[in-house]
This record gives sequence, structure tokens and C-alpha cells, in this order.
Amino acid sequence: PCAKMAALRGGSGVLWRRGFLPALQLVRRGSKAVTRHWKAMHFQRQKLMAVTEYVAPRPAVPPRCLPRRKEAEVAEEDNGYVRLLQRQVEEAFRDNRMIAVCQYNAMPGEDMVLLRHYLRKHNIEVKFFLNEIVRPVLSQSKYRNLLPLFVARNILLVSRETKAKEMLRVLKGVPQINLLGACIDDTILSRQGVENFAKLPALEVVQGQAVGALSLLPSQTSSLLQRSSAHLTALLDQHIRRLQEGEGGTPAQPSAAQS
Amino acid sequence: KKMASKIHVVLRPVKSIVVRFCPFESNVESTRKFLGCINHKRIQATNKNCEVTADVRHDGSEPLVDVMFVDGDRLIMKGANLTTAEMLTALGTRCNAKEIKEEQKSKKKSP
Repeated sequence: PCAKMAALRGGSGVLWRRGFLPALQLVRRGSKAVTRHWKAMHFQRQKLMAVTEYVAPRPAVPPRCLPRRKEAEVAEEDNGYVRLLQRQVEEAFRDNRMIAVCQYNAMPGEDMVLLRHYLRKHNIEVKFFLNEIVRPVLSQSKYRNLLPLFVARNILLVSRETKAKEMLRVLKGVPQINLLGACIDDTILSRQGVENFAKLPALEVVQGQAVGALSLLPSQTSSLLQRSSAHLTALLDQHIRRLQEGEGGTPAQPSAAQS
Repeated sequence: KKMASKIHVVLRPVKSIVVRFCPFESNVESTRKFLGCINHKRIQATNKNCEVTADVRHDGSEPLVDVMFVDGDRLIMKGANLTTAEMLTALGTRCNAKEIKEEQKSKKKSP
């Protein structure tokens, strides 16, 4: 009867070790091992769980008191990607003759695609770079004066040819991009400078003009030097002609008077 | 800290905005950000007729924001020592004040 009572208690019952029928282990309500309600653990299991609880490791010195190493770690972690982007920036600056820096205000996507298309036609590429990546690269290279430009959202237009006129025309059609400055052939230009540069005639024309202006004076020196002797010969020629005319005239006149 | 983009300005009483700055100076950051915020979809959507022009110069002058209102008022903000949020809130308060005035006027006229 005691065994039966103990078994009937069910729940967190203590197992009776002395001689009971295994059939009495069954609790009257017959809940299984896996139940939908919370079932109390067996006492042995309870003890095991209590002994094997997780104890978090506590550092002897709280991490607040340690010297700060977080920033150094974070910088080292990002370095791979950051280094790659910086290398790309350096490449862009090296390969391209014309680099224009523009301010980028939010633009709808289709306009962006159209802009890229038009610029691609003139072999101009549109690049986005984050300021934090560009600033250290610039400060170490010779483009230190471009540093103050890289604040707020920027776009870089890079190209191997210096087609300033077409670029300005395309940018005029897009109100949301403002040209801030450019670096053309290692010369830093402001917006005015770019406009003046665009107004210049093509290089060959300018070269031709320069050559013409330079060769103007040398072409005149030969004629200058020969001018005195040429003058003399001209005078002598005229004299001879007058003499000939005079000779030819006097026999002609008597013949005319005779006839 | 992201306040500048969350400030919503209703540009209905504004006719035009001219933002002038010299990018090679060092005090233009707030003005440039102001320009970027104004050109956002949300604020541009409040008034499609408002023209926003950016005047980029190289004469060492200080950054300037010139706002022309529909009723002829003019607001000039010198951005050299102002933050973006301050400029946006100033513009926002004035726009709201004008809106309220217009609503009152239209209410007086209608009945």
C-alpha cells in the first residue's frame, strides 16, 4: 500500500528502491517522458543539471579598466577591404588624365543610368568612393589640395581623354550633380577653370597657331636680308629697260617720221 | 545624430533656393550637406516648382544660402558657422509660419 501510495503521488516522486513491482512505477495518469505541460525533472536529473550549470568566465579585471585596444583591432579587421578600395582609388588617379569631383545629391535611379550611359559614350566612367577611404590616399599622394573637396556625398568622373566640353554639356542636363573641381593632367582646376579649359580650341589647332606665329618672323628674315640687293637689281632692271626703250624709241621715231 | 535627414521641410511657400559655396574652403561641410538634404525626394516632392541652384565659385567667399519666398521675403543664411540641422530647422520654421499665415488668409477670404 505504501508503494502504491507513493506511486500514486506521481510527479516529482522519489523512486522507491525496495522491492516494488515495476508495474507500480506507472503513474495513474500515465504521462509520458515528452509532455506538452511542464513536467518536473527526475531528482537525479535535477541534481545533475544543478551541478553542470554554466558558469560564465569572469575576467579578473573588468574590461572597462583595461586600456582601449578596440579601435586598433577594428582598423586591422577592415584593412583588407579598405586596402583594396584604396588601391582602386590610386589606380583611378594614376590611369586617368581627367578626374572630376562632383557633389552628388539624391538622384532617381533611371536618371543615374542615363547619365552613366551618356558619359560612357565619351569614355568617361562614373565612380563612387567613400570619403574615409579617399582621404588617407590623397593626403599621402601629391593631390593634397583636393582634400577639402571630399566632404559630403561625392562622385568621381574619371576619363582617359580630356573631353571637358561634352562632360559639361551632359552635367548641365542633370541638375542634381554639381561640378566642384577637376584635376586634368595633374593640374587642379576649379569649376571656372574647367569651363575655360572647355572653351579652348583643340590641341592641334593651338599647336598650329603657335607654330605659325613662331615661324612668321623667320620667314621674313630672308626677305629682309635680301631686300637691299633686290632693290638694287630692280632699279638696275628699270634703268636697262628705260635705256632699251630709249634706244628702241629713237630708231622707231625716225622710221615713224619717214613712214 | 541623423537629425538632418529627418527634418521635414515643406517648401510650398518657397520660390527658389540658391546655395553658394567654394568647395576648396574648409567651412563648407554643413552647407554642402544642406544642399544634399534639400535635394532629397521627400522635400522636393512638397514643391516641384521650387528651383534649387548650386553656385560653385572659387573666390574664397563664405558659404551662403539664399531663399526667395513666394511673397517676396528673402532669407539669407551664412553657413560658415551653422550646422545643417540648424539651417534646416530655421528654414522649416519660417516655411511653417508662412503656411499658417496663408491658410488663415484663405480662410478669411473664403467665407
